[in-house]
Amino acid sequence: MIEIRNVTKTYGKKKNTFTALDDISIEIPDGASVAIVGKSGSGKSTLMHVMSGLDRPETGEVVVDGENILALKAKQVDAFRSEKMSFIFQSFFVQGNESCYNNVSLPLEIAGVPLKNRRKKIERALADVELGEKIKSRAKDLSGGQKQRLAIARAIVTNPKILFADEPTGNLDSVTGDAIEKLLFDYNRKQKTTLIIVTHDIDIAKKCDMVIHIKDGKVASVTGDKR
Amino acid sequence: MKTLDIMKRAGRNLRQAKGRTILTSLAIAIGAFTLTLSLAIGEGARQYADELLKSNIDPQTVFVVKDESLVGGGGGAPGLSSNLREYGSSTTQFGGATFKALNADDIKTIQNAPGVESVTPTYLVNAQYLQVEGVDKKFTTDITVYDSTVKAEAAAGSLPDLGQQIADDEIVMPEAFVEVLKPGAKASDFVGKTITLRLVRLTEQPSDAEIEAAFASGGQQSVQELFEQEARDETFRIRAVSAQSSTSFSASNGLFISVNKARELSEFLTADTDQYQKYVSAVVKVKEGEDPKVTADYLNGRQMAARTAKDLQGLIFTIVGILQGIVAGFGALALIASVFGIINTQYISVLERTSQIGLMKALGMPRKGVAKLFRYEAAWIGLIGGLIGSLTAFILGLLLNPFITETLELGDNTILIFVWWQIALLLLGLIAVAIVAGWLPARKAAKLDPIEALRTE
Repeated sequence: MIEIRNVTKTYGKKKNTFTALDDISIEIPDGASVAIVGKSGSGKSTLMHVMSGLDRPETGEVVVDGENILALKAKQVDAFRSEKMSFIFQSFFVQGNESCYNNVSLPLEIAGVPLKNRRKKIERALADVELGEKIKSRAKDLSGGQKQRLAIARAIVTNPKILFADEPTGNLDSVTGDAIEKLLFDYNRKQKTTLIIVTHDIDIAKKCDMVIHIKDGKVASVTGDKR
Repeated sequence: MKTLDIMKRAGRNLRQAKGRTILTSLAIAIGAFTLTLSLAIGEGARQYADELLKSNIDPQTVFVVKDESLVGGGGGAPGLSSNLREYGSSTTQFGGATFKALNADDIKTIQNAPGVESVTPTYLVNAQYLQVEGVDKKFTTDITVYDSTVKAEAAAGSLPDLGQQIADDEIVMPEAFVEVLKPGAKASDFVGKTITLRLVRLTEQPSDAEIEAAFASGGQQSVQELFEQEARDETFRIRAVSAQSSTSFSASNGLFISVNKARELSEFLTADTDQYQKYVSAVVKVKEGEDPKVTADYLNGRQMAARTAKDLQGLIFTIVGILQGIVAGFGALALIASVFGIINTQYISVLERTSQIGLMKALGMPRKGVAKLFRYEAAWIGLIGGLIGSLTAFILGLLLNPFITETLELGDNTILIFVWWQIALLLLGLIAVAIVAGWLPARKAAKLDPIEALRTE
């Protein structure tokens, strides 16, 4: 469960302040698939950053699994993120010169998983995204869709409780994008992982359990909250 | 994140930018190369100097001179100080230079110094020419006292045991003379042959008044007599031909005669002149078990300059140290330049990899971990550069050593000696330098805002 209570985030100083998030409160149940939609500059990305502890709002609370991450020190937030969260980005951010194996290994290394336990997890994650054959290939030799699948493998290898996806299909053609979507929703259903997608794409939003519309830093509407 | 994982990742990151890594480490390699060579030269020179002293000087020996400048003390380095010296009856000429000399009283003082076993003044024996049995030509050479404290190798004939002098009618000839005397001859051909030295007594130039007086009394005949110098022939039997050695000075030039003979001839040559019983220097043998330092200190306090074998070693080592320092200085300069190279490269690397850094941070890598990654990359650059430089220096040393040894005629000695622990320490130092250089870029990477870094627009 992610609870956001009265969060306000502003950028800039004094006269030039810009309010990215304006007194937002949301609750996201465990295992839900959630779309955060809104125009660019509406604050949807900032909301994601706040939820993941990458960004610190001035006021409010962000409670993840009963823990107010704003009260934690930077180091503890890092450890928390490493343990419970994962990310997928529009531009993949895979390390082109590293092999698929080493790309997927990175979050395990950061989490301090011992070397001997890594290989199995990496192989399984790559198999889950159908890249089992490419384990030794370098990431830059993959196609766009394969790169995003690799990014998904990297995201799921640590068995995260929350998976953030920032425009995951934004750089892909519709066929490949659909495949990536399917992969994410399947994973969300099977593993009961909370999936939070930041997107422009209404089609993706429609497939989610819950859609949060953000407009000018405020929650315009929350639909599909099934509880 | 575990250190080993960070190190591996750092290594892979560098491999992915091979060209840049190699170029950056080359700057360090130049420094490492120079420093490795300077260490090797220092070590080689020290060992060579040590070998040189060991085969030439008995550690129980103290050298005594009257003139401080001869041993490089007091009046500054010889050659740099003024060569103009006040003339006095206690000065002596040697090699064209005038030095204050030790007189009979000084020798007595030395004999009474603590720990002294024997004193051998350096007798100057200048033969006008010498003739070797079976060779028609006349030659000139230096004649010195046979040094019984150092065992020399004989190429032919036999040399006495350590501490034993040769007999008064015996002479030892260096191997180098053989070719000059009779091309193609063997050293053994000369053993048992005789050498005759023509000695001419030093006389002072007659003054004009004396010449006039002689002319007035006996005419032309008397003047000729006045100029006629007293001469004497001395014949020796060649006992041995000493073998050529790259470390022993004494074996390579000049003839050796016994102490007694040297004294006798020296006194004959200088009789009735003001150089009679005046010596440039004296060699003191200190009793076994006694500290030569004590003897030297005693003599230094009595208007003489005394140096122990250790002092001489120190003098040579100081010179070696200075030379080594100069070479090392260039290495250090190259290193300083390479520091800026590393800073620059790593800054560019941070800029290039902002998204990678952002991703790692998003995945929960703490600031420290990011900083470590970049510091280790710098450390790798240092290690690679160090290895390239040291290995190049080592290989070059192996290739050049025989050539240097041959050119400088060092015999069995090599001048570039690589000591593994010195190189290991050097590598560690270089890694440390590289890490320091990588500090600022690493800090920049650690401070990077992941949100900014991951922005795609």
